[in-house]
Amino acid sequence: MQHHPLKVLIVEDEAVLAMDLEFLLEEAGHEVVGWATCLKEADELINKSEADFALVDIHLTDGTTGVTVADRILRAKDDAAVVFMTANPKLIPHDFVGAIGVISKPYTAKGLLAALRFLQQGIVAPPPKLQLPTGLTLAPAYSNRWAL
Amino acid sequence: MENKDDWHLTSRLNAEHGKGDPFAAAVRATRMPMIITDPGQPDNPIIFANDAFLQMSGYTREEINGRNCRFLQGPDTDCSDVARIRDAIKNRTDIGVDLLNYRKDGSTFWNALYISPVSNEAGELQYFFASQLDVTDRKKYELRIIEEKNTFEKAVSDRTADLLETNHQLKSALAIKDALLHEVDHRVKNNMQIISSLIAMQLRTIDDQNIKSSLRATLGRVEAMSTVHRRFYQSGDVTHFDIAAFVHDLASDLVTATGRLDVRLETDLEPVQVPAEKAAPLALMVNELTTNAIKHGLSSDSGGILLVTTRRQDDRCYVTVADNGPGMIEGGSKPPTYGKSLVERLGKQLQAELQWLDAKPGLRVEISVPIGQRLRGQ
Repeated sequence: MQHHPLKVLIVEDEAVLAMDLEFLLEEAGHEVVGWATCLKEADELINKSEADFALVDIHLTDGTTGVTVADRILRAKDDAAVVFMTANPKLIPHDFVGAIGVISKPYTAKGLLAALRFLQQGIVAPPPKLQLPTGLTLAPAYSNRWAL
Repeated sequence: MENKDDWHLTSRLNAEHGKGDPFAAAVRATRMPMIITDPGQPDNPIIFANDAFLQMSGYTREEINGRNCRFLQGPDTDCSDVARIRDAIKNRTDIGVDLLNYRKDGSTFWNALYISPVSNEAGELQYFFASQLDVTDRKKYELRIIEEKNTFEKAVSDRTADLLETNHQLKSALAIKDALLHEVDHRVKNNMQIISSLIAMQLRTIDDQNIKSSLRATLGRVEAMSTVHRRFYQSGDVTHFDIAAFVHDLASDLVTATGRLDVRLETDLEPVQVPAEKAAPLALMVNELTTNAIKHGLSSDSGGILLVTTRRQDDRCYVTVADNGPGMIEGGSKPPTYGKSLVERLGKQLQAELQWLDAKPGLRVEISVPIGQRLRGQ
């Protein structure tokens, strides 16, 4: 099977989670191109990094700014893909501001890997052929687009 | 034509009954207080008052003859009622009104007053005729009814205001409680995630396969606990937990994670709501058994089937985890593993019945947990 590594931006205020996520992504063959803990740091990375995929927490060090971060990433780059990772999915707007979906915390390592495999297919060669993993909830727009 | 002075005459004569005009005699003798005034004289003075009127008002005939009746009014007499009487006199019409009047001694009484103009045959106004009745008792009763009605209405209105205020306070308290619960829930989830991540990172630094395997099992147990917590808050019901949904997610995740196509998952899951306090231990048991089935039962190259079922019957929850691997014959002689003791201890906590069955082929574990409320006190 062909492998298309993703260039990933991590937006997460908890250092331990960001660190583990970075290891896990790199083990899965992806490249982590940046880590932001707040809106300001995210803004800088959006402008200079080559990320094509972002994992975004809602609660950041400067408040619940994750939705704004996602919105800016998606406006900055046409083919950018964003997935929220949060313990508070209720804070996500109904239209997900264009993000693919949400991985609810606490997630399991296995659940996260399954979600990443599915998302990789969806981003690189849509629609994904794998079954929707239990840990991932898709935005209504992507449920329709991928006919799931 | 009658002479106006006849009334004076009648009054002055203090006539015996039946003498003179029988109507005048009746007016003088009746127990109903009556007066006659003369609008032809300045200020419409009283020209006749019967004994009943004198008795009611406390004045002598000499004190009131020739005076306007307004001496009966006092500070608490209703001005608007007085104005209505004045207008009726001016317009020469009938009027009936309840008026607060004053006796000579200053005491008050309620007077049901009726005034009518009296005209001669030519239609010319001659007199005003007024009858009075002391209705203090009726008026007091009416006033008391009004007062009671007001008191009652005020009590209702006060109570309503109290209830609205209480309702408002309860709503605020609930909102605060919800916010706190939400915050605690968020922190618990975040912390569970951090614990998992710490173990996962430690795992990456270790080369020894035995230690790696132990840490992986620990991570699985912590993640099972995390999943229970996540499901509670996703469902919105924090008092019950659907073990079937948990089992489904857990088994699919574990089978997917093997990355093997020769391991197949079969399920027969009936939703079973388990009380909150039993959710975590039961989830840990199922996690242990499912992990074990995949690790040991389905480890061979030929793969196999993982079967999980949930069912509810008579206040008991039944969970089955089975594989069609080598079964427990091979493992039978080994001392019980940590995983197996954990399952047995958790089973005891839940007062569950546990059966380790040789499914020929494979191992089949059946759990039966009481979930009825009646067992709480035991």
